[in-house]
Amino acid sequence: MSRENDFDVVVVGAGHAGCEAAAAASAMGLRTCLVTIHLDTIAQMSCNPAVGGLAKGHLVREIDALGGLMGLVADETGIQFRLLNRSRGGAVQAPRAQCDKAAYRQAMKRRLERLPNLTLFQGIVAEVVVTRGAAKGVRTLDGTFVGAKAVILTPGTFLNGLIHIGLESYPAGRANEPPSVALAEQLKKIDLKVLRLKTGTPMRLDRETIDWSRFAPQAGDDEPVPFSYRTRGRLENKVLCHLGYTNAGTHAVIRRNLDRSPLYGGKIKGIGPRYCPSIEDKVVKFPHRARHQFFLEPEGMETTEIYVNGLSSSLPYEIQREILSTIPGLDRAKVLRPAYGIEYDAVSPAELLPTLETRKYRRLYLAGQINGTSGYEEAAAQGLMAGINAALSLRKKPAFILRRDEAYIGVLIDDLVSTGIDEPYRLFTSRAEYRLLLRIDNADARLLKYGRDMGLITDETWREYQGKEQRITAALAHLKKTRVKTESGNSTALYEYLKKPEIALEDVLKYGRLPVDLSHEETRYIESEVKYEGYIRKQEREIAKAGKAEAMKIPRDMDFRMVSGLTREAVEKLERTRPATLGEVRKIPGLTPAAAQNIGLHLEIRRKKGIPMASVPRETEPDNE
Amino acid sequence: MLEDTIIAIATPPGFGGLGIVRLSGRKALPIARRIFDPAGRSKGPFPVSRPVFGTIRDPERGGALDEAFLTYFKAPRSYTREDVVELSAHGSPAVLEGILRLGTRAGARLARPGEFTLRAYLNGRLDILQAQAVNDLIRSVSLPQAQVASRQLGGSLSRLIKKLRARLIVLLSRVEAGLEFPEENLRPGAAADRKTLDRLIGDVRRLVASHETGRALAEGVTLAIVGRTNVGKSTLFNALLEQDRAIVTPFPGTTRDFLREELVIDGVVFHLVDMAGLGRPAHPVEKRGIAKGRKIAGQADGLLIVLDASRPAGEEDARMLRKYRGKIAIVVLNKSDLPRRTAKTDIRKLAGDRPVVAISALKGRNINVLRSRISAIFAPGAGREEEIILHTRQKDSLQSVLEALERARSLLAGRSSAEIYAEEIRSALRHIGELTGEVRTEEVLEDIFSRFCVGK
Repeated sequence: MSRENDFDVVVVGAGHAGCEAAAAASAMGLRTCLVTIHLDTIAQMSCNPAVGGLAKGHLVREIDALGGLMGLVADETGIQFRLLNRSRGGAVQAPRAQCDKAAYRQAMKRRLERLPNLTLFQGIVAEVVVTRGAAKGVRTLDGTFVGAKAVILTPGTFLNGLIHIGLESYPAGRANEPPSVALAEQLKKIDLKVLRLKTGTPMRLDRETIDWSRFAPQAGDDEPVPFSYRTRGRLENKVLCHLGYTNAGTHAVIRRNLDRSPLYGGKIKGIGPRYCPSIEDKVVKFPHRARHQFFLEPEGMETTEIYVNGLSSSLPYEIQREILSTIPGLDRAKVLRPAYGIEYDAVSPAELLPTLETRKYRRLYLAGQINGTSGYEEAAAQGLMAGINAALSLRKKPAFILRRDEAYIGVLIDDLVSTGIDEPYRLFTSRAEYRLLLRIDNADARLLKYGRDMGLITDETWREYQGKEQRITAALAHLKKTRVKTESGNSTALYEYLKKPEIALEDVLKYGRLPVDLSHEETRYIESEVKYEGYIRKQEREIAKAGKAEAMKIPRDMDFRMVSGLTREAVEKLERTRPATLGEVRKIPGLTPAAAQNIGLHLEIRRKKGIPMASVPRETEPDNE
Repeated sequence: MLEDTIIAIATPPGFGGLGIVRLSGRKALPIARRIFDPAGRSKGPFPVSRPVFGTIRDPERGGALDEAFLTYFKAPRSYTREDVVELSAHGSPAVLEGILRLGTRAGARLARPGEFTLRAYLNGRLDILQAQAVNDLIRSVSLPQAQVASRQLGGSLSRLIKKLRARLIVLLSRVEAGLEFPEENLRPGAAADRKTLDRLIGDVRRLVASHETGRALAEGVTLAIVGRTNVGKSTLFNALLEQDRAIVTPFPGTTRDFLREELVIDGVVFHLVDMAGLGRPAHPVEKRGIAKGRKIAGQADGLLIVLDASRPAGEEDARMLRKYRGKIAIVVLNKSDLPRRTAKTDIRKLAGDRPVVAISALKGRNINVLRSRISAIFAPGAGREEEIILHTRQKDSLQSVLEALERARSLLAGRSSAEIYAEEIRSALRHIGELTGEVRTEEVLEDIFSRFCVGK
């Protein structure tokens, strides 16, 4: 049995989670090994050729502010850029980019190869080695042991992956790639709760066989907005996407063949994502819709493959062809890759701490689809956080946990860990309680400082940000102190004038120039801050109140047995760890969020009544009869 | 099931015919077995939800403490969803405290106030509105209040709030879908949203308004008797109370201060206030009394405006009726045993659309008619099927819901971006969540459970 060098961190899987985890851990100075089934499919975009969108674009910005790679690589390899919801307010705008898939893989691989502390290694991991409740490394199928002080698992859909096309199925992690069966079975053996989930991907068509005159072209933005704070130079739109629709004929074909769908035929047991439904799902769930839209998206510059966004399916191949034949413009299209559904194992995120470390095994971290999420961006965000936390843990530094009010990453991980999932989890802006605070125009103001603390943000980026901050402060001060007479003849501060919904900063500037030149991004930031001001202040007050609850002190002699609603196990854990505040209670492995709430309630009752913590007589007291 | 087993005396302190000690938790049954010997049968399992007769015994010293009935409620079909045992013994504090001591020695711990209900809540047996209703029911001062509380304990208010919440979610999801999926070109339905909002606002506003009734149910209805001097207000006061509470003389201005007494009609509490007449004050003391009376009349829930049938209605009567135009009132035509000197048409004109009841307070004539009119007009709408908000905290949350929805409506009409409008709907949902406990804040829970007494 061979033995690789020992590492600090080993990351299993080089998808979007694995790449960020490996990059972060190695950039934080830890000797890191990234093990992947195939070195040519690093950062493979297994499904759509796009990064970003609502909430997801927000995540990419946050990843970037923390020093992650996804935004940089998406900017570098993007071939069409759009800022979504341009006509709406700053909080619900988000960038999205169509990317060249091959270029994306290569660009990410190139970046990883250049990282001094990172070793790439091809192999199929069969086992996480755990001893005495802690991860010690991994073993590959050929018996190679890779030792490490921390293990991060990011296997995507590979755990017991099973591809379905019609009623046929075969084991695979992705089309024609081997699944991870041994690892999946081992995770069950070490008593991690495993869920079965399902997702799917549409067919890829040959560009040359599509009648493009039948579809409405969709161009990128005139002034593309990058994901990354570090991207230099102008982004360029190189391709068009196209919009098309299904029709009654399409739906008839689908309805006629539902019995040949593995999902409706009852073959698939896994739970699919409601938010990314297959075309079968859409036809069944919305029987009255006359048509469903789809987008034709190029997969890259060097390929003729076209991704059919919106026609994900697991019907048999011949039915997929029949579906295409009903759509004018696609009726002669050649299918290069059939659509398929895939079932895979995930670990219940209830097994996780907010650091993404498992509650049962020290220094075993899970990130990405294994935690029940869907989407590249959700995966990347978790990978980054797992990488950072593994590094911090090895350095014996406090964990890095983002709150729900400071980042979508915080919302994402808290949702997973506190609430758990019952279907593949996708992030939405509406999942954030403080949506108006979590914007793409302030991701740097929220998070860059953390990235810098971790050593993942360079001095140069930090200095640029400080310049931005100064310009914004100067502009805001100017707006507040400059008063003008508006059309209505009233005197008002520019700041107040800008609060009107129909007024943009541009309109304000006709009353005189600002003392500084602002970028597009800085302009949006100021507009958001001014227009949302009342809401922002209110949300900040709510956050401060919640923060007070977190800081609620727990007396050192507190008798946890007195708290209604705690199990004996919880009481023992609390007595062992002796948390000083309610916030600390929440971080204790194995305690449910409800337990923390009950302790909070207990403390509140005691505080209000002024009762000392253990005043009620107990059975152990001497009998004074 | 929660870890420890709690015990408390469930009946009020003091001496009573019966007293009940209640146990809840995993060890409720084994503890009960240790301290209770069933009569005339072997130690088989206790029947479920059926009382068993036996003796409370000190397991160590063997002495019998009292005869008692034991009722075992098996989890989850019990008040707390845990195993619950109720021991019904004789209601002496010494006996009940003795049982308590035996129970704690056998492994139970003393329950804190409200802890049984808290457990029912933590175990999902009651939601927060129902838990509150438990307390309302225990503390209800009037029959109608008890009826409302009982209905809410059954979940009527919870269901109503859940329905409101569901409607808000539909409204929110319409705007959110447009925000989250900008490329789906979802049609904005501003007209439909406005209609939905209008209906929601109407429903929430009615609920907020019902708190007036709820408050009246909990606190009673204040009824002030007003009228010129010497029209017989104090006589009426005494007649309604069926006791000589106020001093009555033939001289005008006998009542200088005000008097306040509780009057119960059909289970509803009325705070009846007698006060100085509203004539021209002759004496500084009387002046003070009148000023005070005016204030009380202004704040009262309703008025009994007394006129003297034996004297012609004067300018002062007219002025008084005008003054209290905005108040719900009954016009009481007193001294109707004496020859009538006021024209019926004049009375009608004075009273407007207010009901007029002719009585003789002195002779007790028609007092029962007046009582039933008082009940019909002033009693809070307990018989109504509409939901009633009993608590200020609940009302405050609903008021916040209402305000958020009203802001949302004006945003919908304006040019603000959709996410701001969505923010208001989200805010309305958060406030709804405060009511049902979906948004859990420890302060709110503390506020609710701290009002309980021990044993519940």
